[in-house]
Amino acid sequence: MPQLTYLEAIRQGIWEEMERDPAVFCIGEDIGIYGGAFKVTDGFLDRFGAERVIDTPIAESAIVGAAFGASLTGMRPVAEFQFMDFIGCAFNQIVNMVAKAHYRWGAPAPLVIRGPSGGNVHGGPFHSQNPEMWFVHAPGLKVVCPASAYDAKGLIKAAIRDNNPVIFFEHKYLYRRVKEDVPAEDYVVPLGKARIAREGRDLSVITYAAMVHVALEAAEILAQEGTELEVVDLRTLSPLDREAIAQTVRKTNKVILLHEDVRTGGIAGEIAAIINEEAFDDLDGPIVRITAQDSPVPFSPPQEEYFLPKVSDIVREAHLLKAY
Amino acid sequence: MVKKKKAVSKTSVRHSSNGRGQRASQSPTASTQRAYAILDYRLEKPSFSIRQIREGEEVRYEVTGDLNAPVPPIRESKYLDKKQSLEIYRWMLLNRKMETALENLYKQGKVVGGVYFGLGQEACSCASAYALHADDWLGPMIRNQGSLLVRGFSARDIMMQYMAKAGSPTKGRDASSHFGDIAKRNVVAPISTLGDLIPVLAGVALGARLQGRNIAVMTYIGDGGQSTGVTYEGLNFAAVQDLGLVLFVENNLWGYSTPSDMQFRVKDLAERAIAYGIPGVIVDGTDACQVFDAAHEACERARRGEGPTLIEAKMMRMKGHAIHDAAEYVPKPLFEYWRKRDPIARFENYLLGRKWMTAQENENLIADVERELEADRDYAVASPMPVPESATGGVYCDSSCHEIRPKYGAPRVRTTKSGMAMPKETAVHLN
Repeated sequence: MPQLTYLEAIRQGIWEEMERDPAVFCIGEDIGIYGGAFKVTDGFLDRFGAERVIDTPIAESAIVGAAFGASLTGMRPVAEFQFMDFIGCAFNQIVNMVAKAHYRWGAPAPLVIRGPSGGNVHGGPFHSQNPEMWFVHAPGLKVVCPASAYDAKGLIKAAIRDNNPVIFFEHKYLYRRVKEDVPAEDYVVPLGKARIAREGRDLSVITYAAMVHVALEAAEILAQEGTELEVVDLRTLSPLDREAIAQTVRKTNKVILLHEDVRTGGIAGEIAAIINEEAFDDLDGPIVRITAQDSPVPFSPPQEEYFLPKVSDIVREAHLLKAY
Repeated sequence: MVKKKKAVSKTSVRHSSNGRGQRASQSPTASTQRAYAILDYRLEKPSFSIRQIREGEEVRYEVTGDLNAPVPPIRESKYLDKKQSLEIYRWMLLNRKMETALENLYKQGKVVGGVYFGLGQEACSCASAYALHADDWLGPMIRNQGSLLVRGFSARDIMMQYMAKAGSPTKGRDASSHFGDIAKRNVVAPISTLGDLIPVLAGVALGARLQGRNIAVMTYIGDGGQSTGVTYEGLNFAAVQDLGLVLFVENNLWGYSTPSDMQFRVKDLAERAIAYGIPGVIVDGTDACQVFDAAHEACERARRGEGPTLIEAKMMRMKGHAIHDAAEYVPKPLFEYWRKRDPIARFENYLLGRKWMTAQENENLIADVERELEADRDYAVASPMPVPESATGGVYCDSSCHEIRPKYGAPRVRTTKSGMAMPKETAVHLN
C-alpha cells in the first residue's frame, strides 16, 4: 500500500474524480500553472487543461457563484479557497444562495468548496482560523473535517459525488505532517459517519481534524498510566453522527469534547446537548470541554501555543475526570 | 506545454515593461485622451437630476431639469416582426394586469407578506426575456415577474407564491419571484440580496461552455443593487472568462427610497461597461423595441462566445419599493413625466399606428388576458395552504430526488499524456 501525505491523498482524490467523471472541474485562485498556494492541484493543468482547471480573479463570491451556476447545468465543481479564512468574502453566496437552493426551489447544488484551515503554523488571525461552525449553522450544507490521509481521500471523493454543497476543511498543519498507508484502489468514506480512532474503556475524547492527533498523543501517555482513552474522530460535522457520540458515552460514561475552534459556539456545545438528549443517564461525570480560547488566533508562537489546546490539557482533564 | 507557456509569459512580461519605459521616455509630458463608445438606442435623453435638499430640519428630494419634453415615438425594431411584437405586447399586458390582480388580492387579505411591482418596467422585463432561446437561462430580480411569464411560468404560479400556497413553485417555502426551474425553463431563483445572481448566471454559461455550448444567460440589477461588491465580482468574472452574460442594469431611479444620484457618480451606468472591458449599451427601458434589439444583439454575441454585455435601461419605478410604500419621497413631477412614457400605452399606440392590430383586436387581446388571469386567480385562491410538516423537508438532496447529469451533453474532456507525478517539494505558504 502506498504511503501518502494528507495533502497527496486529497490531491489524488480530486484527480481520480476528474478522471472518472468529466463533469468534475476545479476553479479557484492560482490553482493552474502555480498549482495552488499549497500545491494541492499541482500538475492538474498539465493533465486536464485550462478548461477544467480555471484560475479566477481574486473574487471569492464570484468563485462560489460561478461554481453554483455551473452545478445547475449538471457539472460538479470543486472550488478552492486559498485559505478558508477568506470564506467570509463568499458567505452570502454560500449560506443564502447555495445552501437554500434545494429547499427553496428544488435545485441540487453538487459543489465542493475546499481549502486549508486551522492553526499551529503561526499564520496569524487571517491564515489560521477554523470557520467550520459558521456553516454547520446553515441548513443545506455539509461540513467535512478529515484528520487522516485515508479519510481525506475517501471523504473528498464522497464530497465530490454528493448531490449537496459540501464545505471541505483541510487542516493545513496536517498537509505534510500526516503520512500513512492509503489504498491505491477506488474507495469513498461516507459523509456523516464518525470513526473510532482509538478504542478505550475509561474515558472518551470526541474531536476532529488536527486535534485527533493531539488526542491520540495524550492517549499514549495515559495508557502508560493504565487509563484507556477512546478517541472518536467525527470526520464530518454536518451531518453529525449522533449515534457514534451516544455510543461512546454509553461505553465509557465520561467524555471530553475537544476542538481547535474557539470555545463559544464551537461544536462541543452542540455535542454536549446531544449527549444530554441521547445519553444523559449514562454519564458518570460532567461533560468536559477543551477548546481554543475565545480570541482571534494570535500570531506569535508563545501566544499561539497558549491559545491552542495541548496534549497536557487533555492529560490533566483526563486525570480530573477519571477521579470524579 | 505548460512549461512553454511559462517561458512565453516571462518574455512578455519583460517586453511589456520595456515598452512602458520606452513610451514614457519618448514623450514624458504628453498625455492623450482615450475615447470609448457607448451604443445609445434612445430617441430622447432625459436630462434631470434628483438632489437631496436640506433646509433646516427638513430633508427632501428635488428634481431639476426639463420635465416637459415631448414623448418620443417607439423606435422601430431592427428585428421584431408583427407576430413577435404582438406577443411581447401580450406579455406586457399580462405582466401588468397580473400585478393589478395581486394588488387586489392583497387588499382582500389573501396575500402573505407584501407585493412587489414592476409598474413602468414591463417593457424591460418582457422584451428582454423574449430575446432568450429555449436553451438560454434567465435570473430574474424581484420586479421581473414579466420575465418569468415569458420564460413559461404562469400567472397562477406567481399568485400562489404570493399567497404561500402548497402548490406554489416553492411549495410555500419562499415568496414572490423567488423561484426557478433547472429542468425546463432554465430560470435561476433569485435571493433577496442584490447582485448575487450575476456570478451565478456567469457560472451557468461556464457550465454550458464546458459541455461544448455557448449560451446566453440574462439577469438584471438595479441602480441601487449595482452598488454591491458581488455585482463587480460577477461581471468582472464573466468578462475575463468571455462568458455570455447579458446584464440589464435597470436604472429605475430609486433604490427603495434612495435616488440614483446618491448611488453613483457616473452619468450613465452603461459607462461602467468600459471599466469591465465589455460593450455597454443604453436603451429607453419603456420602449419594448429598443429593449428587445439590445437584448437580441447581446444574446447573439453571447452565443458566438464573445462575452458579456451590459445594457442600461432607463425608466422609473412607478410605485413604491413594495405595496406598503407609498413612495411619498418621489417628487410628483417625476411621476407625471414617466406616466407619459408608459411602456404599455406607448407600445399599444405604436402597434395600432402600424396597423399591426386593430382597436377591436386590441380589445379582444385584453379580454383574453383578463380571462386567463381570472381563471388563474380562482385556481390560486382555491388551492390549499401547505401542511405544517412540509416546513422541514427537502433541505438536502438525497440520491433519489434528483439525477444530476450535464444538461447540454457530455463535457468536453481533453487530457494530455502527463500522468500524476508526485507534487514537487516546493516552498509553500505556512507549511
